[in-house]
Amino acid sequence: MPNPITPIMQGMKITFGHLFKKPVTLMYPEERPKVSERYRGLHALKVSHDKAKCVACYLCPTVCPAKCITVEAGEDENHNKFAAKYEIDMLRCIFCGYCVEACPVDALKMTGQFELANYRREDFVFSKERLLEKK
Amino acid sequence: MVTLTIDDKQVAVEKDTTIYDAAKKAGVVIPILCHDKKLKPFGACRMCLVEVEQMKGRLIPACTTPVTEGMIVRTSTPPVNKARKLVLELLLVHHPLDCPVCDKGGDCELQNLAYDYKINTNRLTDEKFHHEIDYNNPLIERDQNRCILCGKCVRICDEIVSRGALTFINRGIKTKIGTEFDGPLSCEFCGSCVSVCPVGALLPRPFKFKSRIWALTKKTSVCGYCGTGCNVTLGVKDNKVLTTVYDENQGFHNGQLCVRGRFGYQFINSEKRLKTPLIRKNDQLVEATWDEALSLVAQRLKGAGSAAAALATPRMTNEELFLLKQLMTVQVGSQNIDHSAGYGHSAVSEGLAKSLGVAASSATILDIQKSDLILAIKTDVYETHPVVGFEINMAVKNKGVALQIISDKKGKLSRLPGANLLLNKPTTEVVLLNAVAKVMIDENLTITSATPELASALNEFTPEKAALVTGVTADEIKSLARAYAAADKAVILFTAGLSYPGADAQLAHAAANLAILGGKLGKEGSGILALQEKNNSQGAIDVGFVPGQGGLDALRILEGSATGTIKTLLIAGENPVVSYPAKAKIQKALDSVEFLVVADLFLTETAQLADVVLPVCSYAEKVGTFTATDRRVQRINPAIPPVGQSRSEFKVYSELISMLGGQPVATPAEAFAQIPAYSDIKYNELAEGGTFSSITLQPVQIVPKANMVVSDSGNYVLLTGAALYHCGTMSLYGEGTLAVSSEAYVEVSRADAVKLKINDGDQVKLTSTDGVIELKARVSPRMVDGVFFAPYHFADASINTIWSGSTVTSVTVAK
Repeated sequence: MPNPITPIMQGMKITFGHLFKKPVTLMYPEERPKVSERYRGLHALKVSHDKAKCVACYLCPTVCPAKCITVEAGEDENHNKFAAKYEIDMLRCIFCGYCVEACPVDALKMTGQFELANYRREDFVFSKERLLEKK
Repeated sequence: MVTLTIDDKQVAVEKDTTIYDAAKKAGVVIPILCHDKKLKPFGACRMCLVEVEQMKGRLIPACTTPVTEGMIVRTSTPPVNKARKLVLELLLVHHPLDCPVCDKGGDCELQNLAYDYKINTNRLTDEKFHHEIDYNNPLIERDQNRCILCGKCVRICDEIVSRGALTFINRGIKTKIGTEFDGPLSCEFCGSCVSVCPVGALLPRPFKFKSRIWALTKKTSVCGYCGTGCNVTLGVKDNKVLTTVYDENQGFHNGQLCVRGRFGYQFINSEKRLKTPLIRKNDQLVEATWDEALSLVAQRLKGAGSAAAALATPRMTNEELFLLKQLMTVQVGSQNIDHSAGYGHSAVSEGLAKSLGVAASSATILDIQKSDLILAIKTDVYETHPVVGFEINMAVKNKGVALQIISDKKGKLSRLPGANLLLNKPTTEVVLLNAVAKVMIDENLTITSATPELASALNEFTPEKAALVTGVTADEIKSLARAYAAADKAVILFTAGLSYPGADAQLAHAAANLAILGGKLGKEGSGILALQEKNNSQGAIDVGFVPGQGGLDALRILEGSATGTIKTLLIAGENPVVSYPAKAKIQKALDSVEFLVVADLFLTETAQLADVVLPVCSYAEKVGTFTATDRRVQRINPAIPPVGQSRSEFKVYSELISMLGGQPVATPAEAFAQIPAYSDIKYNELAEGGTFSSITLQPVQIVPKANMVVSDSGNYVLLTGAALYHCGTMSLYGEGTLAVSSEAYVEVSRADAVKLKINDGDQVKLTSTDGVIELKARVSPRMVDGVFFAPYHFADASINTIWSGSTVTSVTVAK
């Protein structure tokens, strides 16, 4: 039979050890976290030549497990396909990142923005304008 | 039968089967890009290469190699797969990798094969093509850069549509699919080429970028335009019909459709659809609830008796027509019911009813390909029933069926190989047929001998005299009679409907007499086939939606409305203001009738005059059955829920019946069971493709009345009828059909154009005794000198301002 005190002592050792380390707790919102590059926050539509790169191929709404992406394609003056409507319903989004993975033209990314709280339901539906990458 | 082994599976197939078809039968899938069930083997793509034990040392194309006894075939050995990979790599050298923006993505055979064969990289490189993309056509977008030169479009346009609008041009690496002189696509826009294109080189423009193919729900139904009864698959997304989807295994026509069926679906979800009932208040149509509208209608119909009347469109289902008939005859107590302007169904409801003992065609569309001779009377089937035209083309080209045509125009049918056209003066068809019958009797070519009455009545129709009247030579008449009599099996075709005023009971009698005398009734590949105008024209006759005992027919109902004997008129889906003859009279009748109820999809020219307008459903929103022109009873299924507040007519008339104290049947199935003509068909057992209603022929020789008068007023002759791009007035709400044919026109022969100094596109003024109209001229090689043709569909510059219902209208023409 080992001494019943030993495991308690081992636990306390770890606890005391942490007292002398840098604290993990952030004084949010005064202090801001530095999110990882790979963090999956709010989506952004990448822009190239002043236009969204998205070609409205419909692969993201197809792959989306939460069915939160709505795309409607349009035809521009050069007969090219573009997303006339691109909406993500953040209330349904599960931030799995499949949409980014599915994108064949690298038009979509996920940013580090995680502060998505809002007061009205409508505001959680992000339109194309709101999703466009800010430079 | 030939027995062979494919991938260790034994299969027995007919002689002349190809390895590809044998493999399909054995359940072995061989990849292929250039094959379609309907087309002849071509062997262009080389994807179907297989190994055959007996032909070691080289790979054999499965689609062009016939099977032999004891053949041992292997379809996916390493050398075969290697060869197929190379074929794909070679195709992908030039095929652009723009799948994300290509509408074919997800439905693309090349994409699927590249995935199956894991073509991730390409060992070969070359510059891509830079062909100009044809965006100008409103229905078909051609992107030659994506083309893999399988030739399916070329072959379907030639072998089935017989238009020949596309062909291979140039040689070697520069080969492409081109049009005549490499100009814009000039064809009838049936979209057959689009339907078979394995890649995104040919795409339907109305569906461009609308949706991905995998997001569509596919709903099968029956086309709601003409009487052919083609099956269609509607592509639905978010309760909207976005396109029609091709399925090579669908229906007797193997998925083949015409321009209306394939591209004219937009009326279903048109912005112009009526969403709520409308009631006239202070001379304005204002929105109302269904309760208000229906109680108003019920109030008017209650006890109205013979002061009420109903005109229905043969686009309604059998069950709806049955209910409307019950409402009018039982609850209201009026026998004044009719459809198709009263004369539109007379060829069948009166002509064939008396001659054959049954108000229906004896032959079916399937008989066309099984026949030895087709006699097409007064019809350009390619225009009115294009899919039947395709059947005739295949019969003529593949089966060697002889084609005889009696027509007043040189239509596309007469350009088929070996077609013999007897070009007659308008309205003289009955004289011509009587002369043919006379020749058959005189030369002892009959199988059933003529009754003395018929024989003596035909005495005056000698070929020589008939030649003077009809403009067809006596020799031509004689040789037609001999050819018809000599054929073992023969089908006689003629069109019947609102837009074919000359196709009346007399024509049906005359045609039936030929079939009776020649013994060409009641056997496969023989008989009479009346091609009716609307999707349920035959059904309206089967249900008996014609004037009852003492009832008025359509034109008398309208006369009665003008004089005040008809006080309440219910018009279900018809648009008499545009489609019935003598517009001024119709307008007056509808203006003066006390109470007009219109049930329609749109606020048509007729609905605008109504006191109550009821919004009803299109064929894509309801259940029921349609009976095609060849008695094929098919069920339709709803693809989308009713648009707006619209209701199916079944529901509307059920409710009216119960409001008037009656007991309506609960479901369409129950209504169907009560239709005597379909007593041997079970509603619930109707599968896709339907069932033919059975008939018992009791042929009677009836003397057709015809005038042996040489008519020459010196004036020009105006014919009316249907145009290829439209059917009735409903197609005017389909953007696809409208895009290629949007305005009224008159067709003029080349010689007349020269004589009258008319150029293509000029406005010409036509004057008849009824009025004057200005139409855009179209110089057409199919017209005969002295004859003008104007389609009847268009509301603006409507032809019925100068046409009063006669077969031909004598007109003077000025520029």
